[in-house]
Amino acid sequence: MNAVLIVEDEKHIADGLRYNLEAEGFAVDIAVDAESAEDLLLKKHKPYDVVVLDVMLPGKNGFALASTLRKAELFVPILMLTARGDAQDVLRGFEAGADDYLPKPFELAVLIARLNALLRRREWLKSASATATSQEQLAASVSRVPKVIEFESKMIDFDALELRSGNHTVRLTVMEADLLRYLIKHDGRIVSRRSILEDVWGLREDTDTRAIDNFIVRLRKYIEDEPSKPKHLVTVRGVGYKFISKAGAKRN
Amino acid sequence: MRVRSRRKSIAFFITLGASLVALAIALNVGWIILNWREVALLVLGIIFFCAIIFGLVINTTFLIREIRRNEQHDAFINAVTHELKTPIASIRLYLETLKTRNVDEDQRRQFYDNMLADSDRLLKTVEQVLRAGRARHRRRGIANSVIDLSGIVRECLDLVRITYGLDETSLSFVEAPSARGAKVSGDIDELRAAFTNLLDNAVKYSDEQVNVSVELAAIDSKRVAIRVADQGIGIPNAQLKRIFKRFYRVPGMFMARVKGTGLGLFIVRSVVEKHGGRVFAESPGLGKGSTFTIQLPRL
Repeated sequence: MNAVLIVEDEKHIADGLRYNLEAEGFAVDIAVDAESAEDLLLKKHKPYDVVVLDVMLPGKNGFALASTLRKAELFVPILMLTARGDAQDVLRGFEAGADDYLPKPFELAVLIARLNALLRRREWLKSASATATSQEQLAASVSRVPKVIEFESKMIDFDALELRSGNHTVRLTVMEADLLRYLIKHDGRIVSRRSILEDVWGLREDTDTRAIDNFIVRLRKYIEDEPSKPKHLVTVRGVGYKFISKAGAKRN
Repeated sequence: MRVRSRRKSIAFFITLGASLVALAIALNVGWIILNWREVALLVLGIIFFCAIIFGLVINTTFLIREIRRNEQHDAFINAVTHELKTPIASIRLYLETLKTRNVDEDQRRQFYDNMLADSDRLLKTVEQVLRAGRARHRRRGIANSVIDLSGIVRECLDLVRITYGLDETSLSFVEAPSARGAKVSGDIDELRAAFTNLLDNAVKYSDEQVNVSVELAAIDSKRVAIRVADQGIGIPNAQLKRIFKRFYRVPGMFMARVKGTGLGLFIVRSVVEKHGGRVFAESPGLGKGSTFTIQLPRL
C-alpha cells in the first residue's frame, strides 16, 4: 500500500482528499502545517511514498517546506497544490524542489493520475537500484535521450536522477533532470528561454523567462568544474543557452 | 525569480534616492564653504540646492509609499485568490467524489455540510469585496432606517456564536442600563457587516481559548459605544491606526497564521464613518489582547 502525506490546512479539502485517496488504496496521513509535516517526515522518519503539498499554509509556506525537505536530502516526490497557479508560482515551486504541481481547483482524476505517475517513477527507481536493469525497464524508459550520459568525467543517470562526478554524487530533482535532458537533447544547438519554458515546463503564459536562469545557475554548479566560467552550459547573449558536450563526449 | 529581482531593483532605486539626497547635501555644504565670501552667489546657490534636496526627498518618500501600496495590493490579490479558489476547489472535490464514488449516507451528509460551509465562505468573501468597493462611495445609497442597536448586536453575536461553535461565556455580552433602548439611524445591513467583522476578528485572532466580551454602553446622551474586547494576539502600538487602511495587514509570522484579505477593518471604518461615528483600536501590545470601540450618534 502506498503511503501519502497530505499537507493542507484547509480541513475540507484535506478530508475530501483523504476520502478519495483511501478509496484508491492509499494510506493517508494529514499534516495541517509545515511544522507538523516536518515532524512526521524529518523527525519521525515516516516513510511516505508521495507528499501532496499546499502552498498557502499558515506560518511557513509550502515552498519553504519543500526546500527544507530537499536540503535535508529527503527526495520523496512532492506534488504541489497552488491557488494562484500562475507561471511565477509554478516555477517557484519547481525551484523549491517540487516534482509536479496542480493549480486549485483541480480535477480529482487528474490529481490521482499525477500521483500515480510520480509513484510509477519512484517504483522504477527502486527496482533499478535494487536489481540490475532489466530489458523491460529499459523499454519502459525509452526516450530520445539515453538514460545514462557521460561527458568528461561526469555521468548523469536520468533514471536514478543522479549526477556522479568522480566519487561525488548529486541528487537531481525531476525538474532539474528534465531541463538537463532537454539541453542535452539539443547538444550543440542554441535553445531559447521561451522554448525551455514551453517544452520543459509546459508554460505558455507570458512569463518572465529570466526565471530559468536560476535553474541554469544550479545546473552549472553540478556539471561545471568552474561554474563562473561554464564550458558545457554556455549562455548565448540575448537568446538563451547552449549545451556543449565537447568532442570527447561519449554516449551510451 | 521575479519577486527577488524586483526586491533588488527597488532596493537599488531607494539607495539611489538616498545617495542623491546625501550628495546634494554634501555639495550644498561644499558650496557654502567655498563661496561664503560672495553673498549673492551663496544665497542663490543655497536656495537652489535646498530646492533640489527637497525634490529628492519628496520623490524618494513617494517612491517608498508607492512600493508599499503595491506590495499590499499584491498581498490582497493573493489572499482574495486564495479565499475564492479554496472553497471552489473544495466544493468541486466533493461534487466529483459524490459523482464518481458510492458514498454511504452518513459520509454523504457530511460532504453536503462541508459544501454548504464552503459556499457560505465563498459568499462571505464576495460580499466583503463588493462591500469594500461600495465603501469608497461616500454616503451614497445608504438607507436611513431606525435601528435598535441592542437587537442588531445580539443578532450578530448569535451568528458568530453559531459559526464558530461558541457559548455565552466565551463570547459574552453586557448591556449597560444607560444604553437600554438605544437607537441609531442608518443602514442595517452595513452596520451588521461592521459588527460581524469586528466579532469575527476578535475570534479569529484569539488563541485556542476564545474569551471575547462585548459591551454596549452610552457615552453621553448623544453617543453610544460598542466595545469588543478579546484576549488574543494583540496589536503593536505603531499599527493601531494603520490596521484600518484598505488591504493593510500587520506584517509578521504571528499574523500570517490567520488568513484574511485586509478588507474587514477598512469596511468597519468606512461604514462607521458613513454613519457619523468613529472607530478605534486599543491594545497593551502583542499577546495582550485588544479592544475595538465603535462610537455612533444616538437618535
